[in-house]
Amino acid sequence: MEKVDVIVVGGGLAGLSAAYGLAQAGLEVMVLERGDYPGAKNVTGGRLYTSVVRDLYPELWEGAPFERAVTREAISMLADGRMATFEIAAEEFGGRRPQSFTVVRAKLDQYLAERTGEAGGMVIPKMKVDALLTEGGSEASGAGGGPGASGADGGPGASGRVIGIRAGEDEIGADVVVVAEGVLGLLSSEAGLRERPAAADTALGYKEVIELPASVIEDRWHLNPGEGAAQLFMGSVTKGMMGGAFLYTNRESISLGIVVGMEQLRSRPDELESWQLLDELKTSPAVAPLIKGGEVIEYSAHAVAEGGIAKVPRLLGDGYVMVGDAAGLSLNALITVRGMDFAIASGYHAAQAIAAAKAAGDTSAAGLAGYERALRESFVLKDLQTAAKVPALLENQRLFTHYPEAVTKLMADIFTIGPGPTEKLSKTGFGGVRRSFLNLATAKDALSFRKI
Amino acid sequence: MRIVVCVKTNYDLQMVRVKGREPVLEALPYKVGDLEKNALEAALQLREGGLECTIVALTVAEANAKVKETMKEALALAADEAVVVNDPALAATDQAALAAAIAKAIEHTGGADLVLFGEGSTDNYSGLVGSRVAELLGLPQIGYARSIAVADGAVTVERSMDDMIETLQAPLPAAVTVVSEINEPRVATLMNIMKAGKKPLTELSLADLGLDAGAAAPQKAVLSNLAEEQDRKHIIIEGDAATAAAGLVDALVKEGVLGR
Amino acid sequence: MADILVYSDKPQVARELAFKGREFAAELGLGLSAAALGPESAAAAADLGGHGADRVFVSDDAALEGLPTDVVAEALAQIAQEAGAEYVLLGSTRRGKELAGRLAQKLGAGAVTDVNAMAVKDGALVGWRYALGGATVAEERIDTPVKLFAVMPKTFEVGAPQAGAGEVVTPALSLSPSRVTVGGRTPREGESVDLAAAPLILGVGRGFAKREDLDLGRELAAALGAELACTKSLADFEWLPEDRIVGLSGAKTKPDLYLSVGVSGQVQHTVGISQAKIIAAVNTDKEAPIFQLADYGIVGDLYQVVPALMEKLKSL
Ligand SMILES: Cc1cc2nc3c(=O)[nH]c(=O)nc-3n(C[C@H](O)[C@H](O)[C@H](O)COP(=O)(O)OP(=O)(O)OC[C@H]3O[C@@H](n4cnc5c(N)ncnc54)[C@H](O)[C@@H]3O)c2cc1C
Ligand SMILES: Cc1cc2nc3c(=O)[nH]c(=O)nc-3n(C[C@H](O)[C@H](O)[C@H](O)COP(=O)(O)OP(=O)(O)OC[C@H]3O[C@@H](n4cnc5c(N)ncnc54)[C@H](O)[C@@H]3O)c2cc1C
Ligand SMILES: Nc1ncnc2c1ncn2[C@@H]1O[C@H](COP(=O)(O)O)[C@@H](O)[C@H]1O
Repeated sequence: MEKVDVIVVGGGLAGLSAAYGLAQAGLEVMVLERGDYPGAKNVTGGRLYTSVVRDLYPELWEGAPFERAVTREAISMLADGRMATFEIAAEEFGGRRPQSFTVVRAKLDQYLAERTGEAGGMVIPKMKVDALLTEGGSEASGAGGGPGASGADGGPGASGRVIGIRAGEDEIGADVVVVAEGVLGLLSSEAGLRERPAAADTALGYKEVIELPASVIEDRWHLNPGEGAAQLFMGSVTKGMMGGAFLYTNRESISLGIVVGMEQLRSRPDELESWQLLDELKTSPAVAPLIKGGEVIEYSAHAVAEGGIAKVPRLLGDGYVMVGDAAGLSLNALITVRGMDFAIASGYHAAQAIAAAKAAGDTSAAGLAGYERALRESFVLKDLQTAAKVPALLENQRLFTHYPEAVTKLMADIFTIGPGPTEKLSKTGFGGVRRSFLNLATAKDALSFRKI
Repeated sequence: MRIVVCVKTNYDLQMVRVKGREPVLEALPYKVGDLEKNALEAALQLREGGLECTIVALTVAEANAKVKETMKEALALAADEAVVVNDPALAATDQAALAAAIAKAIEHTGGADLVLFGEGSTDNYSGLVGSRVAELLGLPQIGYARSIAVADGAVTVERSMDDMIETLQAPLPAAVTVVSEINEPRVATLMNIMKAGKKPLTELSLADLGLDAGAAAPQKAVLSNLAEEQDRKHIIIEGDAATAAAGLVDALVKEGVLGR
Repeated sequence: MADILVYSDKPQVARELAFKGREFAAELGLGLSAAALGPESAAAAADLGGHGADRVFVSDDAALEGLPTDVVAEALAQIAQEAGAEYVLLGSTRRGKELAGRLAQKLGAGAVTDVNAMAVKDGALVGWRYALGGATVAEERIDTPVKLFAVMPKTFEVGAPQAGAGEVVTPALSLSPSRVTVGGRTPREGESVDLAAAPLILGVGRGFAKREDLDLGRELAAALGAELACTKSLADFEWLPEDRIVGLSGAKTKPDLYLSVGVSGQVQHTVGISQAKIIAAVNTDKEAPIFQLADYGIVGDLYQVVPALMEKLKSL
């Protein structure tokens, strides 16, 4: 079997970030991406928190094809035909070093691929990896016996050493395989490196890109050129299911999408699909004007990992490391959805650790252990740890039904002048508030929210 | 023997989107043209058939900033080396100027015993470049090859014309253009793709070829370039096969295009 | 006086060019010349004169035997010179396209091939052709002193021949024999179809998994009373003859109904069907581009849908 230093499986942000660092370190690296080009298959809401990754590859972000620096954040609650929006525009979000940017993955991933190519890496699109090869000739030791919820404890992999990959008729060996295949983890679970994510730990994302002229976007969301808005929608949009919708403004388009708990969606009797939910949102009177005149130029569906730290598999083993979504490194805290920053950071740290392991001539789990140490010291595992309680919290249905109803009702009452004499607010609106917010269930919620 | 395969690197045309009626060409990925892959494969098969040869993939980059990256595909498939003519003046050019650059580049990089082309490029499909280059280099030319054999200083080609199949022979050096049925281009192996990055690639400007920027000026003006207007109904007929089929037939009868 | 010079080795195409060329010449104030080459040139000359040529340049020089492209190009270059041709119109057949490049190069002419419409605009001929693989239609003007257009067969209609043939000119050509020698010629067999004129067309593509399965397509075509057409892929496999190809390198059709089965609808194919009145498509992949062009679509397996269609058609 012919051999290279490192094979990266999957040319998303995690894989490309690893490959870029590896190429820079002078290693022979091959990225295999099944999409027509890097970014072709990558779905993301659209906002990258650059604040946390800026210092990892400082030279990369200068010329990166970002869309808009997010300076306006909004949350909209939807219920009973009402929408209440809370918005904040803050100077500190923007400025010289904006905290986050909207991104279009097709552009960002291709940019990273190009930089990787320039650094001497080889990014090969339209190449689907069919299996990870493990020692002893077996392609896959079969799922099960995987590390499952054992957390990131870094011991040796469940199966023998990972020694390479098979793609079609090709078998190629590598000292280290970087598993960056994304959320479904088909190859790694097949090879016994992790368990398949369960439906309960997965949400389904569906997203459309709607084209609008820059000037229209800037007018509609009150933006200066180059600035962008992020808006989240909660409540009736998911029909009581865990999840929400998001809207991000790009340069000349908006990304509008929805994320719903997979299990809840699947168990509905009405065979509702996520795109139908988005369609309803798009045609709702509150949202329709936002996208008026826009043309849908792209749509895509993708899974989102929501298991949190408890579902992070073993991060490395003999001859392999896991990065990005493939390692469950993402965080859906409802208001902040993060995964791209984790993907980039994990790719970065994987590259550093692999380069060190190669230099030391030890690419066993022990030799690669620096990867996990670095992740523990970085925001990646720290933030996931901090948010450990989030997944359970999101199962609280009241978040998606009760609160949006109560809030929109209150706002509506404040602004309502009906026929006949107007009742005192304390009786209508605030009375409702009392009933809605000050009860045993909400008190329990308040306690659990304090944990995040 | 030196076989030069003229390769066009092109947008992936399946990705071209039409906005209004204007094609949107920005940020499209590039690839080696389909028919040129057949030409590369034909060269490779000549070698596998025992012909000792160096295979050179030659392209004139037409505003393709990623041309070197794209040419790795040709290097991975078949070529031993690549020649890239790259010059900002070539951003808006035409077949005459491309042919001039190709002819000069061939002369400049060691000549050719056999020059292979696609019957047409994936975007222009003009079929002009091959014959223009043949004329410029004073080569005999055979177009539309569906098989190629080289022996005793001559190339024998079976070619597919509108109304007949012809077998023609020309002394080398010669130019041949190929049709897609000549072969099924193989998929490059991963190791060949890896090795492609290390194969020699020569980049030349127009000045390197002794041409000035004016040599890239087109002889033609494109007065408009718009997608055809299409007004279609886009009705998807749902249901199992029998229901959908019945629904379709009913709809077509109602349209007056069936059952008259 | 400057001229329009027309030539095609295909008599019918030459007539089309001459007949329309006559109109353009009148509009532009030019003369119309035609060239007739090879052993049958004398008969062709009379025909072309009847179809509008003021002058027909005739040569049956021995080097023109078999009409080798390089010699024909040289002959036409010399004739164009003698005729003072400002425009050269050729047929955009395979032979014609091969010739176009060589001749344009000899004449220092800009050239446009695969032209499917022409008109006089601002005192010059412009031509329309598909561009970007068929995604768009480009309108092109040539700016060199001599201008060459290769026009698709059947682009122009032919009117009845007029009495009073044009002047026959026998130019003194200096030609050397072709360096390309002919080993054999086999006419393509099989009945030929005129897809361009068919009112109902069933287009089949790679959705048919095996050659034998095409019988299913043939049966459906028969049940519909439709002409069978195919994508280039199927012709490349030699499952169907090349004259059944619809698209950029095949027929441009304008039927009342184009029903496509197992066709992805890539643009090189769909340029050949965009003029259809109604387009219907059957494809397993709901994202197949053909559905963006279709009036009616069934997302389904042709192996189930085609039999169901035939069943339903029986009831009509
Ligand atoms: C709807 C939605 C909204 C989101 N919003 C945000 C957001 O706003 N901000 C944020 O930071 N994160 C967001 N995320 C999460 C973020 O998109 C992911 O965490 C991130 O893309 C992970 O990157 P990755 O490189 O690990 O995986 P991916 O981007 O999924 O890349 C994996 C790559 O591997 C390739 N691949 C898979 N299998 C194979 C194989 N067998 N052979 C070859 N290639 C293979 C795939 O084609 C893909 O390119 C969102 C996700 C979704 C679905
Ligand atoms: C310069 C150039 C010129 C060309 N000119 C032409 C031309 O004139 N005409 C032309 O046709 N092509 C032309 N092509 C080729 C063209 O680009 C496409 O490759 C070709 O049209 C694809 O043919 P297809 O639809 O049969 O195959 P594919 O693209 O492979 O599509 C097969 C389709 O069948 C569907 N399918 C599979 N199984 C089933 C099933 N059981 N039931 C229903 N559907 C099924 C699939 O979903 C798929 O969409 C040209 C290409 C080039 C580069
Ligand atoms: N820019 C280019 N560089 C190299 N070869 C080209 C280029 N453009 C066209 N060709 C070759 O000429 C053939 C015919 O192209 P065209 O005349 O554009 O249809 C192609 O199949 C290629 O082999």
